[in-house]
Amino acid sequence: MYPSAIDPNLPRAIKQPLRARFERAMRHFARHRLAMVGLTLVLVQILTAALAPLLAPYAPNAIDYRAMLNGPTAAHLLGTDDLGRDILSRLIYGARVSMGVSVASVFVAIAAGVPFGLITGYIGGALDEALMRVLDSVMALPALVLALTIATVLGHGVFNGMIAIAVVLIPIFTRIVRGQVLSVKHNDYVQAAHSVGVPTYLVLLRHILPNAINPVIVQGSLAIGFAIIIESSLSFIGLGAEPPTPTWGSMVQIGFQYLETAPWFVLAPATMIFLAVLGFNMLGDGLRDLLDPVSRSRH
Amino acid sequence: MARYIVHRALAAIPVLLLTSIIVFLLMRMLPGDPVLMIISQAQTDVSAEIAERMRQEYGLTQPLYMQYFAWLSRLLSGDLGRSIISRQPAFDILLTRILPTAQISLTAWLLAMLISVPVGITTAASQGSWKDWLGTIGSLLGAAMPYFLTGGVLIYFVALRWRWLPASGYVSPFVDPVRSAATTILPALTLTLWLASTVTRQTRASFIDVLQQAYIRTARAKGLSETRVILWHALKNAMLPVVTVLGIQLGSLFSGAVITETIFAVPGVGRLMVDGILSRDYPMVQAVVLFLTLVVVLANLLVDVAYGVLDPRSRTT
Repeated sequence: MYPSAIDPNLPRAIKQPLRARFERAMRHFARHRLAMVGLTLVLVQILTAALAPLLAPYAPNAIDYRAMLNGPTAAHLLGTDDLGRDILSRLIYGARVSMGVSVASVFVAIAAGVPFGLITGYIGGALDEALMRVLDSVMALPALVLALTIATVLGHGVFNGMIAIAVVLIPIFTRIVRGQVLSVKHNDYVQAAHSVGVPTYLVLLRHILPNAINPVIVQGSLAIGFAIIIESSLSFIGLGAEPPTPTWGSMVQIGFQYLETAPWFVLAPATMIFLAVLGFNMLGDGLRDLLDPVSRSRH
Repeated sequence: MARYIVHRALAAIPVLLLTSIIVFLLMRMLPGDPVLMIISQAQTDVSAEIAERMRQEYGLTQPLYMQYFAWLSRLLSGDLGRSIISRQPAFDILLTRILPTAQISLTAWLLAMLISVPVGITTAASQGSWKDWLGTIGSLLGAAMPYFLTGGVLIYFVALRWRWLPASGYVSPFVDPVRSAATTILPALTLTLWLASTVTRQTRASFIDVLQQAYIRTARAKGLSETRVILWHALKNAMLPVVTVLGIQLGSLFSGAVITETIFAVPGVGRLMVDGILSRDYPMVQAVVLFLTLVVVLANLLVDVAYGVLDPRSRTT
């Protein structure tokens, strides 16, 4: 028998399957080896960024002119750069900027793109069509080129880099959420909510938004990997954080000048970028398998 | 089919117009007065009166929409403005830089296609086997490799340690085809690894979906060999999403040139954009952005046409 609208046990009845579903989802996730490796990589990098002052053996900008471009030694595990700064310490502090900017840009893109997609998809009509054509045009601009152009307009700096990346990512989230809104807005439960007088903003938040959460979470994880690549590219070109702030991209850029004599100078930060992107990609793939039942059945 | 192509080409025009508005507005938002920048590059003292006259001549005192239409009409006649640094027409400079970028990007694109489609099919056809795992892990790692790492490793080992190929520079195939090929290989391989990984993942996923379809079961039930099932029944249907990725990524390869051409010191479109940004030569940056946008829109158009060829049903939509 289905629970009726006046069933006093209704909240409990709903909570039980939800908890069971969550536990089942967690079990699936724990069994997904690639996702667990991705999660581990992401957690290690986040902890590295958070605990940088405790983990870094030296201050990131401490210069030692007697140890310029030294190879890996016991004192400097990943060697030193052209100014004698400890590369490991700069990598650890660089994680703060590179990961921080990337994660923040994705959150900004979600904060802007999700309401935008909800509203345009819900209103529909000519406004929606016009806005979608604008987004199509923004997406026609290659992501890195658009980010570079916006960063050039805004100027150097961590904050401006974050905004440039967020602008590139906003259309992705708007499109995902809009697609979900279009697929459910004519469903019976949405119409029923309207008919009993639920305000539109509550219909959007309670009945439509939950359908879009899963794809947004999956895309969010994948977008952080993409954002790390764009952030490091901006820093590599010289449009990221101002020197001497360490970022992985700026370390790579300087390191290329010394590739023949000090390869670790390029390879160490480039490997960090690789591991960060790999972690978020694997986590995103795992989440997609977890949150998409069709995909999960294949594993 | 011709009607379909014309229809898709016409549909690309509004996108091009809207992107031109976005690029125009972005360029107008750039910090600094363009006239003062030209004056500072000329390194001469110019009175405020002459500067104001220059602003009028350049149309900068007109309303923004008038400036846009004037800019668009010049654009359509091939006038992309003049480089602030060299004073040469931006269009002429851009033309000289297209060949290296196109040569490297198209080489990478072809290599990626030759690698990823067979690998994707093999991994999908042998799901769960060691081949599948190898292909899946390899494409996962490759898709996360930044150009800095691939390029750095290739330059360090292939060019600097083993001295097999040059580490940087570019030679036109019309000057010396052998040296041209030698300077193309490393930047092309840098782009290939990422693209091949991305397309392999798409090919595998697409084939797995198609191989679960009822008509594939029917083909197998008829007793056809697995090779025949894949090549005759699955390939054409599974290639639709693969064509999309390959087409879209053709545009991405051109923008990836921004990084690879900086790493390998290739005088291409990407390097032109970076130099333009660093020297604040904004007409040059604008020309490159417009060119790359045009490449992406054309690549999308090619995807639409390929779709029409592969799937006749799409021609009716």
